[in-house]
Amino acid sequence: MSVKFKQFDHIITEQYQAEQAFLAAYKKGSHSFEQPFVQLNPYLIAPLTALIMFKTDKPETVTVNVKGRQADGDMHFDLPAATEHVIPVYGLYGGSDNTVELKLGSGAKKSVIIKTEALPDKVKLPTKMETTSDYFQDNLMFVGPTTAALVAGYDYKGDPRWYCTLNLAFDIKRVKNGRLLVGTHRLLMPPYHTTGIYEMGMIGKIYKEFRIPGGYHHDQFEMEDGNLLILTQDPPRGTVEDMCVLVDRNTGAILKSWDYQKSLPQDVGGSGSQDEHDWFHNNAVWYDKKTHSLTLSGRHQDAVINIDYDSGKLNWIIGDPDNWPQDMVDKYFFKPVGDVKNFDWQYEQHACVVVPDGDIMCFDNGHWRGKRKENYVPAKDNFSRGVRYRIDTSKMEIEQVWQFGKERGEDFFSTYICNVEYYGEGHYMVHSGGIGRFKGETLNKPPAQVRGDDEKDLVLNSITVELKDDTIVYEMHLPANYYRAEKLQPYCREDVLSFGKGELLGDLGVTEQFLTIPDTEPGGEVPDKYNVKIGLEEDRIILKATFEKGQMVMLLLEGAQTVGYFVPTTKRPFLAMCVGTFQEADERAVEFPISRKGLAGSFAIRLIVDDKKYETGVHVAL
Amino acid sequence: MATEVLELDSAQLDEVIKADKALVIFYSKTCGPCKMLRFVLKDIAKDVDGVSIGEIDFDANKDATAKYKVESYPTLLLFKKGEEVKRVKGLQQKPKVLQMINEG
Repeated sequence: MSVKFKQFDHIITEQYQAEQAFLAAYKKGSHSFEQPFVQLNPYLIAPLTALIMFKTDKPETVTVNVKGRQADGDMHFDLPAATEHVIPVYGLYGGSDNTVELKLGSGAKKSVIIKTEALPDKVKLPTKMETTSDYFQDNLMFVGPTTAALVAGYDYKGDPRWYCTLNLAFDIKRVKNGRLLVGTHRLLMPPYHTTGIYEMGMIGKIYKEFRIPGGYHHDQFEMEDGNLLILTQDPPRGTVEDMCVLVDRNTGAILKSWDYQKSLPQDVGGSGSQDEHDWFHNNAVWYDKKTHSLTLSGRHQDAVINIDYDSGKLNWIIGDPDNWPQDMVDKYFFKPVGDVKNFDWQYEQHACVVVPDGDIMCFDNGHWRGKRKENYVPAKDNFSRGVRYRIDTSKMEIEQVWQFGKERGEDFFSTYICNVEYYGEGHYMVHSGGIGRFKGETLNKPPAQVRGDDEKDLVLNSITVELKDDTIVYEMHLPANYYRAEKLQPYCREDVLSFGKGELLGDLGVTEQFLTIPDTEPGGEVPDKYNVKIGLEEDRIILKATFEKGQMVMLLLEGAQTVGYFVPTTKRPFLAMCVGTFQEADERAVEFPISRKGLAGSFAIRLIVDDKKYETGVHVAL
Repeated sequence: MATEVLELDSAQLDEVIKADKALVIFYSKTCGPCKMLRFVLKDIAKDVDGVSIGEIDFDANKDATAKYKVESYPTLLLFKKGEEVKRVKGLQQKPKVLQMINEG
């Protein structure tokens, strides 16, 4: 039988097993300050982290100093007095004998050498890095990829000091407990909707996965009470990226949801990338306490919208009013005021931010930069930028008060992804992470859509800039595309490691079954040419195979009852391939995950391919 | 109750849609969802009466795709006495197609 079958654990289970193993090893020895226990990459996914553990007879504070290649590259952290010391080590270099200095409050010193493996090719190295250690200090710039690369954090010299081996998706945000929220690496619906959000420590330990029935995409936002806004959709209705849910931080239960189909018409104001399936393309959410409202970025209507938190009722729209119904223009759109000569609307924007004074910032990708085909601006004449608008909702007036990027023209142009950050007045980050040239020409489409042989003619770039009072104080270029950039200090007092198994919260919902099962002939064993692999995880069944475009494929679970799933072999043309990292190089490769929710009993897994039904030889008890 | 699914060309399509009610799929032989939707229509044909059901090859009948402004496949069109009353794109489940027929 040619089908490969593998039962595998969720990463939370794998990490728990690893934790049990290193804790057992630690307890076996008698580890003192002089002979500390050292575990590199304790949670398996962050190879530039380590744990140092030892006991002291009396309570001692510990200062840890991870030595940099230059003195300015040192990373220090002070830990409170204890007798059982659990010391996280962050900021190691790849392929190095790293020196970590430990100093007790009583004055004793110890150096530990930690050897790391070489960086994998997917940790990209900057092609340009300009800043100073005075400005950047011991921060790292974290970026999450949309093309073949890994999530990594870069120091002021451009050296990678943290990376993750999982294919994490979308944004990384630090939340109040010091941990990171990031999209999971577990695919729920191709091409990039994942199962939910991981809450992870900088050490790489995943404390929680918040699973979302419709899958997760693009963005999450921590509310004041700790609950989470997470962007999602309702797959059976055939549209994507048009819903948001509020998730209980402790239980993973969905407490509230917003359906933008109730707030907006779906067939008006379309951007150049809109289609019926992805009519809004919500790529950011922001809760504003002052106005008790949600501000949402909808790439495919060129619109930043604001809705009432309680009712979901539309309050206003920032965007070019051209091609919208006049009654909506009159009611919801703003009129530019101030320096209108230099005013530009945003198009296919990302990452809306509500500034403390109520101004709205976003990354204006500028893709198409027009509402009608005849007005579309080609990439070579276009620009992307960070922009700040001041809005007066009583007069429905808007003023552009700041921008950066227009002056760089096509060199800074990203058709997709990207973000801005507000650090304080006049202090911003603008990340243009989706730049691509194909055969020397700036691309008019997301570079993540370029596949196969064409990739050899593709040159990628990602430019992250920070400005203080319009002076550039940081600029990093990376040779890949990165969804967003987030500046974070690896050491954070609130991010305290706690042992124990992480939690798998919420659920993946029930994968839509296909109700019609075609009449077929028995085909025997699945032919080798389909390279069929079946994986069984705690909450998913995963089919991976290679089919020709246009073949009709159905996965059957045959037991006391038969359940069928239609497996798409023709990729839906996603006009916004926001994360291309789940795609295989071979365009015929298919990955089809099925949620185990609602499935119970013993099943034989069979495959229909066109007019034949094949045996996989795989039987599962669910 | 039963009907059969008719394979149509452009000329036959113009005739079939004159029926009281006619459901037509524009399909491509190179499209998995089209193949599945054709099975769905065959299944539906067993259960319905008074509806003409036809299928027309998108690639081989460009004049029909132009005339009826069909831009992608699979696309289902419901006609009443020659007039288009409903259109849906993409693969659909049997209950949704039945609903389309009943509400059209």
